[in-house]
Amino acid sequence: MPNDFLAVEGASVSFGKAQARVCALRDVCLAFQPGTLSLVMGPSGSGKTTLLSLLGCLLSPDDGSVFVDGVAVNRLSEAERTVVRQKKISFIFQAFRLFHSLSALDNVALGLEIRDPAASRRREMARDLLLQLGLGDKLHQEPNALSPGEKQRVAIARALAGNPPILLADEPTASLDAEAGRNICQILRGQVDEQGRTVIVVSHDPRWERFADRTITLCDGRVEEEVAVP
Amino acid sequence: MKLALQNILHDRGRFSVTVLGVSFAVFLMVFQGSLLAGFLQAASRLIDASDADIWITARGVQAFEFGTALESRVREMAAGVPGVIETGRVCMAFAVYRTPVGKQQVVALVGADPNVGKRFPVPDRPESSDQMSPDAVLYDVSDRKQMEVETLPAEVEINRHRAIIEREIQGYGAFLGVPFLFTSYRNATRYMGFDSGEAMYILLRTDKSYPLSQVQQRLRQRLPEVDVLTQKEFAHKSRMYWTMKTGAGGAILTAAVLGFLIGLVVVSQTIYTNTVENIEEYATLKAMGAAQVFVARIVLTQALICGLLGSILGLLAVVPSIGYAKSLIPWISAPWWLPCTMVVPSLAMCSLASIVSVRSALAVEPGRVFRA
Repeated sequence: MPNDFLAVEGASVSFGKAQARVCALRDVCLAFQPGTLSLVMGPSGSGKTTLLSLLGCLLSPDDGSVFVDGVAVNRLSEAERTVVRQKKISFIFQAFRLFHSLSALDNVALGLEIRDPAASRRREMARDLLLQLGLGDKLHQEPNALSPGEKQRVAIARALAGNPPILLADEPTASLDAEAGRNICQILRGQVDEQGRTVIVVSHDPRWERFADRTITLCDGRVEEEVAVP
Repeated sequence: MKLALQNILHDRGRFSVTVLGVSFAVFLMVFQGSLLAGFLQAASRLIDASDADIWITARGVQAFEFGTALESRVREMAAGVPGVIETGRVCMAFAVYRTPVGKQQVVALVGADPNVGKRFPVPDRPESSDQMSPDAVLYDVSDRKQMEVETLPAEVEINRHRAIIEREIQGYGAFLGVPFLFTSYRNATRYMGFDSGEAMYILLRTDKSYPLSQVQQRLRQRLPEVDVLTQKEFAHKSRMYWTMKTGAGGAILTAAVLGFLIGLVVVSQTIYTNTVENIEEYATLKAMGAAQVFVARIVLTQALICGLLGSILGLLAVVPSIGYAKSLIPWISAPWWLPCTMVVPSLAMCSLASIVSVRSALAVEPGRVFRA
């Protein structure tokens, strides 16, 4: 496991105290290789989001370990985990989580400012990313003026800013119509194939299955099934 | 830091309220500061105007306005102390002034020897190029309305004595609400009915080759029944009396502090509300890998932008207001550094106001980004 690019080893996570205690993950072992797209599925409360939080260094397991690029991040301090997120991990959310007062361009530039403070020409780089995602005519629009599909593409551009090797996406197509959803699937698949990124998508959306390299099904906090897609 | 600016500009209504709150606070602080500065200056203006090194007053005199008569021998004994090279006399008393049209008015009459100081308003200073009769009476231009003098010279009465007002002066306006009239010492004692040998204050100029403290000590030994104060000590005592013992300074200072507190509350409230409303964005920033310093800087920048704009607006409003207030309160004084230095407490106020908000933004868990 420490040799894997991204992995959880014997990870257990529980929330609450005493009788209200809920076990979200139980002894989960998973490894993710660079240049793969993994789809995590399962019913509500199965532990999908908790797994994403662990992999994204947002949560530490009660037991077990989380490895990012060979480093056991659960042993790091909060500040050190922040640096790991800054350099290696980006998130894509169902609710987009764009900064409402900033234009599309500034949202992406802010991602660059956080991940690569020393970079010059941040706005040019942000513009290039938005152009790549077909948002050349929306650069100066605020999120409220964008369609859900466009918002998600801006969010992906922001996630790609700073070139992180790991993309963690939580229900990225849940708020989108069929066409916009397919478009997002293609974009993330493209990031795996062309950039060699490790993409993990948590979703109920069956459309993802044909874009994924493997499907992991969680149930009651355990890995119920792990299937490589041929 | 574009996010900081855009976040506050996004809600223009709230932003305007914050800036107005800060500008009101700055206005109040500068205005009250000007009142206090002017009050302090006015409280010792005549003492500061003298060139004397030492003032001798009756025992326990707290301020220039409350002097009582000293025996003539005090001056003679003081003159004999080694190091004293010159003595002068000043007296002050309230008198009844009858205007040229016959109205009566109480005035504070100040008489001084011509040698008490070049800035001290006396008519018979020998080196003065301004041609006035030795017994001329002067008043401050800000008291013109109360003096009811149409043209100069004007014949008036002071304590039923005929007097000639010859000049208007500037910078010695009414401080107690009662206009000051200035004349020669000889003339003043005549109006007041004083013995010509008496004085309320004896002003001494000393030989610079003698340490001032030594001369002061000798005077105290020789004249134990009076107070012997350096000019600075008497000026300080007078200022402290008016500002502290009467409570006037405290009231002015309280208003300035209230201004600061009002600004603090307005800015804290607005910045805190803004932070709480955008708390999800702070969580997103942290999930993206933003350091705590980065997050704190955004909140602090928002507060400082409000502080800076509010300060500018407050200063733009207060400068003409003080100019206008001068016509009502002649002693109000806004030294150039006062508005400038007020930017510092206003920015400190905004920084202080952002502390609670910074704590909220720093405490937010990045893990909440996955919650709907």
